[in-house]
Amino acid sequence: MIWFIDVYLYLILGYAILIMSSYLILAYLSMKELRSYLKKNSFVDYEVLLTSEFAPKLSLIAPAYNEGFTIEENVKSLLSLNYNNYQVIVVNDGSKDNSMEILIKTYDLVLTELDIHSKIETKKVKGIYTSRNAAFKKLIVVDKENGGKADALNVGLNIAQNPYVVCIDVDCILDKDSLLKLAKPFLESHGKRVIATGGVVRIANQCIIKNGRLVEVNIPDAIIPRIQVLEYLRAFLLGRMAWGRLDGLLLISGAFGAFDREIAILAGGYNIKTVGEDMELVVRMRRYMLENKLPYTVSYIPDPLCWTEAPEDFKIFKKQRSRWMRGTIETLSFHKKMFLNPKYKLLGMISVPYWTLFEFLAPGIEFTGLIITILFIIFGLLNWHFFILLVLFVYTFAVFFSVIALLSEERTFHKYPKQTDFFKLLLAAFIEPVYFHPLAVYAALIGYKEKIKGTHGWGEMTRKGFTKKE
Amino acid sequence: MTKIWELYRDKHWVEPFLIFSICFFVGVSIVLYLFIIGSRNKNIKREKLRKEHDQQIAELIFLVVFEDTPFAEIKKRQEYMMLFGSLLFRKVLIESVINLHKNYDGVYAKKLEHFYKESGLINDSFKMLKSMKWEVKCKGITELAEMNITDSFEKILTFSKARNKTLKITAINACIKLAGTEGITHLKAHPYPIDDWTQLNIIAAFKKHDIGDTKGVEHLLESHNTTVVTLGLKLIKELKLTQKVPYVAQLAERTPNALIQYEAQNVLQELTV
Repeated sequence: MIWFIDVYLYLILGYAILIMSSYLILAYLSMKELRSYLKKNSFVDYEVLLTSEFAPKLSLIAPAYNEGFTIEENVKSLLSLNYNNYQVIVVNDGSKDNSMEILIKTYDLVLTELDIHSKIETKKVKGIYTSRNAAFKKLIVVDKENGGKADALNVGLNIAQNPYVVCIDVDCILDKDSLLKLAKPFLESHGKRVIATGGVVRIANQCIIKNGRLVEVNIPDAIIPRIQVLEYLRAFLLGRMAWGRLDGLLLISGAFGAFDREIAILAGGYNIKTVGEDMELVVRMRRYMLENKLPYTVSYIPDPLCWTEAPEDFKIFKKQRSRWMRGTIETLSFHKKMFLNPKYKLLGMISVPYWTLFEFLAPGIEFTGLIITILFIIFGLLNWHFFILLVLFVYTFAVFFSVIALLSEERTFHKYPKQTDFFKLLLAAFIEPVYFHPLAVYAALIGYKEKIKGTHGWGEMTRKGFTKKE
Repeated sequence: MTKIWELYRDKHWVEPFLIFSICFFVGVSIVLYLFIIGSRNKNIKREKLRKEHDQQIAELIFLVVFEDTPFAEIKKRQEYMMLFGSLLFRKVLIESVINLHKNYDGVYAKKLEHFYKESGLINDSFKMLKSMKWEVKCKGITELAEMNITDSFEKILTFSKARNKTLKITAINACIKLAGTEGITHLKAHPYPIDDWTQLNIIAAFKKHDIGDTKGVEHLLESHNTTVVTLGLKLIKELKLTQKVPYVAQLAERTPNALIQYEAQNVLQELTV
C-alpha cells in the first residue's frame, strides 16, 4: 500500500512541477516579447494609419442581446473610435427588451436594402437599418431572430463590407486607439497572411467611465473581481504574449479580436454548436490554413485596449467559468484530430496538448487529488510532513507567480499607479490560492457536469454596469 | 554535484527539493516585491526631478528663444553649468527642444537648431548613432532629423538598409525629412520585401514633411522588387503626382506581373479621371 501512496504523491509532484515549469517558461518568453514590443512601439506613429487611405478597412461587429440600458452610449462610443476606414455593425440578436426601439430613435434609423450574399447560414434577418443622419453613416444595425452570440456574429460576417472584421462585446469599453493598434499587424507580415489579431482584455469593475471611455483605473474592492484583475494580468501578460511569440495562440478573446473576413468565412464562420465560439473559430481558422498549406500567422497586441466587467458574485462567476470550461471541452473535442498530430505543427504538438493537460484536465486532476487526499486522511495513510510541504510548495509558487505578473505590469503598462491599488493586488495574490482558486475549480467541475448532461446555451449573465463620471 | 546525484539515487531528494523550492519562491517573491517598491519610489523621485528640470528648462529656453541670449553667456551661469553635467537634465532638455521644434517654424525653429548645436546636444545625438542598441540609434536618428542636421544624412542612410524594421522605418523617415526623394531612391535596389506598414510610413513621411520635389519617385517603378514598385505606385497615387502618369502608363504596359499591372491601371484611372 505504501508504494501506492508514494506513486500517487510523486505523480502529484510531477504534475505540479510540469505545470509550474511551463508557466515559468511562458512567463519568460512573454516578458521578453513584451519588452521588445514596447521598445518597438515607442517609435510607432499610429497617426500614419489615421491619415492613410491604405489603412486596412475594418467592420466592427457588436452582437447585442437585451442591452437596452447601455446600448445607446455603447454604440456612440464605438462610433467615436480613432480610425477612418471602419463601419460598425450592431446585430440585435432578437432582444426581448427595447434595444431596437432605442437604436432606431437615437440614430434615426430606417430600413434599407443591402445587397447581401449570405455565405454562412444563420437565423432569419428581420431587417437591416442605416441612419438618415450623415453623422452616423458608419452605422449598420441588423435586427434578427434570436440565435445566440455565434449566430449574431455570423450575420455580421455576412454583412460586413470590409476585408477585416473586429468582433467585440457591445458592453466592452474600448480604448480610443484600439482599432489603430489592432489593425497594424495586418500590414506587417509579408509572405505570411495575418488571419487574426487579439488584444488584451482588462477588468473595468470600479473603474470610472466617462462618455463611453475609461478615465480612471481602479482596483475593485470586492474580492472576486479583484482577484480576476490579477488573474487577467497573469493570463494576458505572462501567458498569451508567449503563445503569440511562439505562434501557438489558440484563443482570441470574444470580447475583442480582429479577423481576416475571407478566411473566417472559408473556415465556416463561428460555430453555433459551442459556447466557446471565440476559441473554436481561431482553432478552425488555423486548422484551415494548415490543412491547405497556406502560410499564415496570428498576432497578439499586449496593450490594454479593451475593458470589461467581471462577475462580482459567485453565482455569475460560476456560470461564466462553467461556460468557459464547456467551450474548452467542445473546442478540444471538435478538433481532437489535432492532438499530438505533427501535421498541425506547433499547434498540434504543443498548443492543443497544453490546453488539454493544463486547462481541460487540471480541475479534474485537482479534484481527484483532493478526494484521494481525504481518503488517505480517513484511513490514516497520509504522510503529513510531505503533504504540508507539497501544499506549501504549490501555495508559495502561486504567490510567487502573481508577484511576477505584478512586476511585469509595473515595468510595462503601469496601469495601477496608486500604492493602495498595488497593495490590494498583492493581498489578492495571498488570498487567491485558498479562496478564489477552489471556486474556479468548482465552477470548472460544474462545466464538466453540464457538458456530460448536454447543457447548451450561455445562461443569463447579469451585469452590474460601470461606474460613470457625471 | 555528486551529493545531489546521491540524494536523487536514494530517493531522498523530494524533501530537500521541496524545502529549497519553497525557500526559493518566498525569497524571490520578497526580492521582487522590494524591487517593485524600489522601482516605484525611484520613478516618483525621477518624476519629481523631471518636473524641477522642466521648470529650469522653460526658463533656459525662454532666454534662448525670446531673449536671444547667446549660449556662451548661459554656460557661464553657475546653475546651468552644473545642470549640463546631469544626464537626466540633458535628456529632458533634448526632449523639450525637440517638442518645441515640432511646434515652431521660421526664426524660432532656427534659434532652437542653433542652440541644439551650440549646447553640444547634437553630440549626444550623434553618439547615440554609435550605440549597439537599435532603439538608441532610433532615438538619435529622430533627434537629428527633427533638428534638420543634414550632415547626418549619409550616416542615417546606412541605417535605412538595416534588417531591423523599426530602425529601417525610422531611418527612411529621417532621410525623407532631410533629403526628400533622395532618401528613398536607393530602395530601387532594395533586396528584401517592404511590408505595407513600412510603405505607409514612407508615404506618411512624404505628406508630413510636405516634400514638394518628387523627382526620382518614378525610379521606384523600375525596381525588380515588386513591393518597391507597389510603394512607388502608392506614393504617386496618394500624393497625386500627375506628372508621373507617363511612367505609370509605361509600367502598366511592360510589366509581366498581373498584380502590378492591375495596380498601375488603378493609379492611372485615379489620376487621369
